Amino acid sequence: MAFKTVVRSFLNLSLRFKLILGFLAVIVFGGLLSLFLGTRLEHRTIFSLAQAKVRHDLASAWTVYNERLNNIRDIVRLNSSRETIQKALLRGDKAVLQKNLDYVRKDFNFDILTLTDAQGKVVFRTRNPELFGDDQSRDPLVKRALQKQISTATEIVARNELLKEGANLADRSYLKFIPTPKAAARPEEHEENGMMLKAASPLYNERGAVSGVLYGGILLNQNYDIVDRVKDIVFKGEKYKGKEIGTVTIFQNDLRISTNVMDERGNRAIGTRVSEEVNQAVLREGKPWIGRAFVVTHWYITAYEPIKNIEGRTIGMLYVGMLERPYIDLRNSVMLTFAGIAALCTLFLLIMLYFITSTIIKPLRGMVVATNKIARGDLSHRVEIDFRDEIGQLAHSFNRMTEDLKRANENLIQWGKTLEKRVEERTKEVRDMQDFLIQSEKLASLGKMAAGIAHEINNPLTSILINTHLMLEKCEKKDPSYENLTLIADETSRCAQIVKGLLEFSRQTPPQKAKTDINELVDRTTQLLENQASFQNIKIVKNLDRTLPLIELDKNKIQQVFWNLMLNACDAMPTGGTLSIFSRLDDDRKYVDIVFIDTGVGIPRENILKLFDPFFTTKSSGTGLGLAVSYGIIQQHDGHIDVKSEVGQGSVFTLKFPV
Amino acid sequence: MNKTKRKILVVDDEITVCKSIRQAILSDEYEIDTSLSGEEALKKEDEKKYDLIITDLMMPGISGLDLLKNLKDKNAAAKVIMVTGYPTIKTAVQSVKMGAFDYLPKPFTPAELRSLVARAFKAAESEVKGERGIEDVKMPAGLYYMLGHAWIKKGAGGLASVGIVYDFLKTVGIVTQIELPKVSDKVTQGEVCGKITDAEKLSHRIWSPVTGRVVEINAKLKDDYSLLRKNPYAEGWLFKIEPTNLDEDLKGLVLSK
Repeated sequence: MAFKTVVRSFLNLSLRFKLILGFLAVIVFGGLLSLFLGTRLEHRTIFSLAQAKVRHDLASAWTVYNERLNNIRDIVRLNSSRETIQKALLRGDKAVLQKNLDYVRKDFNFDILTLTDAQGKVVFRTRNPELFGDDQSRDPLVKRALQKQISTATEIVARNELLKEGANLADRSYLKFIPTPKAAARPEEHEENGMMLKAASPLYNERGAVSGVLYGGILLNQNYDIVDRVKDIVFKGEKYKGKEIGTVTIFQNDLRISTNVMDERGNRAIGTRVSEEVNQAVLREGKPWIGRAFVVTHWYITAYEPIKNIEGRTIGMLYVGMLERPYIDLRNSVMLTFAGIAALCTLFLLIMLYFITSTIIKPLRGMVVATNKIARGDLSHRVEIDFRDEIGQLAHSFNRMTEDLKRANENLIQWGKTLEKRVEERTKEVRDMQDFLIQSEKLASLGKMAAGIAHEINNPLTSILINTHLMLEKCEKKDPSYENLTLIADETSRCAQIVKGLLEFSRQTPPQKAKTDINELVDRTTQLLENQASFQNIKIVKNLDRTLPLIELDKNKIQQVFWNLMLNACDAMPTGGTLSIFSRLDDDRKYVDIVFIDTGVGIPRENILKLFDPFFTTKSSGTGLGLAVSYGIIQQHDGHIDVKSEVGQGSVFTLKFPV
Repeated sequence: MNKTKRKILVVDDEITVCKSIRQAILSDEYEIDTSLSGEEALKKEDEKKYDLIITDLMMPGISGLDLLKNLKDKNAAAKVIMVTGYPTIKTAVQSVKMGAFDYLPKPFTPAELRSLVARAFKAAESEVKGERGIEDVKMPAGLYYMLGHAWIKKGAGGLASVGIVYDFLKTVGIVTQIELPKVSDKVTQGEVCGKITDAEKLSHRIWSPVTGRVVEINAKLKDDYSLLRKNPYAEGWLFKIEPTNLDEDLKGLVLSK
């Protein structure tokens, strides 16, 4: 769930951030991966190479060491086989021995060169001629030599022996322990014994028997020849940042007795001791040890091997160490390079991303702005198109869409205007229709009442009429009442007529419509009219559009309307005139117009409004229902009647039938 | 001849109308009774056999038509005149088909009532006589007619001819004047389309058999009324019309055989 929230919040970041974070993540991941792999690689190859080298260097150190040992042996051997020495030994001639051996010691840098007799008793110590006669037969090398065996080895030499061989030797090997962290605990606080490279060789007499032993050696303690030599051979005096890369040490036990490892002050770090770990592995277990070790002041890649004496006992160690620093530094520099590249790439990437995302974000922001502007109504705003990439295409499409929107909007506005106009027109039509309907309602309600009224009125009328007539029959013409009664009778009849007219008017049947040629209807009606007496001095002019479509009408009812209008026209022209009849399609092609124009007396303006009202008449005869009925009939056909009139000029009646 | 008084019964739910009608035809020759309802009228008929019944068409209780039916059952020889209002003309026409002698639309003058009564009794007399006179003109077949009134013959071009039946002529006296509609006049079924005045100065109304518009009138008839007597079905035609509701109207008429 938390994961989802994290993902969600990530996805909600800005585009730029998403891209940057995404790429960064890749880089970081890649970086870390390469770091990890690099380390492992480095470790495996470089360090193992380093270790291999250190091993080889140790081997080289052994070579030098053994070479020195052999060298000592050879010299001892050589000198042991010198006749002079042999003869001098037999005579016990110390002077000769001194003369012949001393220079050898000095020339070959021996610390001791001592001759014993066949029993192993010291005859002559070149270094310390005062002391002689002590028994050296227990010395392992001497012992071997007495048994005709030449040997050479590294040996621990006790202090008292060292004293015997020469006082300063004991001083040289006296070493106070310098406290070394990680070193194994030792009860002693100093070392007084020494470690020597020794060799012993027997002398023979004429009979071939051992006449004595010549032994010599070098005290390794504080003797830096070997270590320096090794260093020079192996490391060629290479320095790294002012520090010697290679170090060599000879340990007596765990004590550094000869080394070119420097302490903080730059002095040889003799007196310091080896770490417990190495102590354990090399001294006690007698196994070589290779590894990373902190030597006095620095970390080294080190190799330790035991130095064994003639009896095979580990008495010390030979150490070669390679400054780790260069490797570390190499590794670090590689990593740093990696890191540097990564950082540079990241920076570069960020810059690139920034610019690239700008090309995306800028137009997108532009589109957002544009959308807002469009939402607020500004449809002429366009997004800048910088490039032809997908964003550019989007911007282009966006602009096109805006264009379309603008056009559509304009169309809509235009349509709206047209709509307004149409609404106006319709409203007018509706208002006209409403007037029409009000008129019709008047007529309809009238019709409903008519039948009821008629029925009710007829009875009283009957009584009045009959009785009036009866009275008239009994009345004489001279009688003044006669006139009155006649009036009553006439008016009562008139009442009856009115009622009858009303009934006729209300008795309208629903129209039976059929598709009819309206012109034919006009023709038929005019044909009949022509026979009428009252139409004799009226000219009938017809102007009928024969291409009119057929209209749904009730022939009889419409004919009745035509009759009505034509008879009215006739009544308007008592002295003659012209009746013109037109039929045509109106301008909108929605209605067929039938127009009746007479040149009659015309209708005054105040009467035009009342023209179609039931019982409205200006004639002396008639019920005044003709136009009302006609109006009703036209209404039944969803049409209109229009009247225009000028007093003294004539009238125009226009009937409109929907197509 | 021993002229017994004609027995007339006047039926109307309004007493004023009854009285007025009675007053209008009051005469020594008539014995006039009145009743205010159909039931009462039937009771009276049971007691007295009437020669003429004048009854209102629209009455509460038994309607005029039902009364007509019942009267005809009881007394086939009696003549029945239906008094109607204009709204019920159609029913009046129907009543003639059902056997009424004629009908009288309200309001009417005493003269109109009297002429109708005269015709009714004249018709009754000729029936009593029994035989048809040799002069009687027989109605040709294929004509639709209103019993005792006018006929209509379908013609060419959707037009029709209208005239009066011989039985009608028999009921009037010598024709002294014929009043016909004008061309283009509208005539309605059951309503006046013409008048015949006879020598007794009685004016008889002719009911139009169908509704339509008059397209032609018989000009010859104006000059020679005898054409009527000669053959009211042929030369004596009255006028031609363009019927507007023919099929519906024919339902109220009888077809001659």
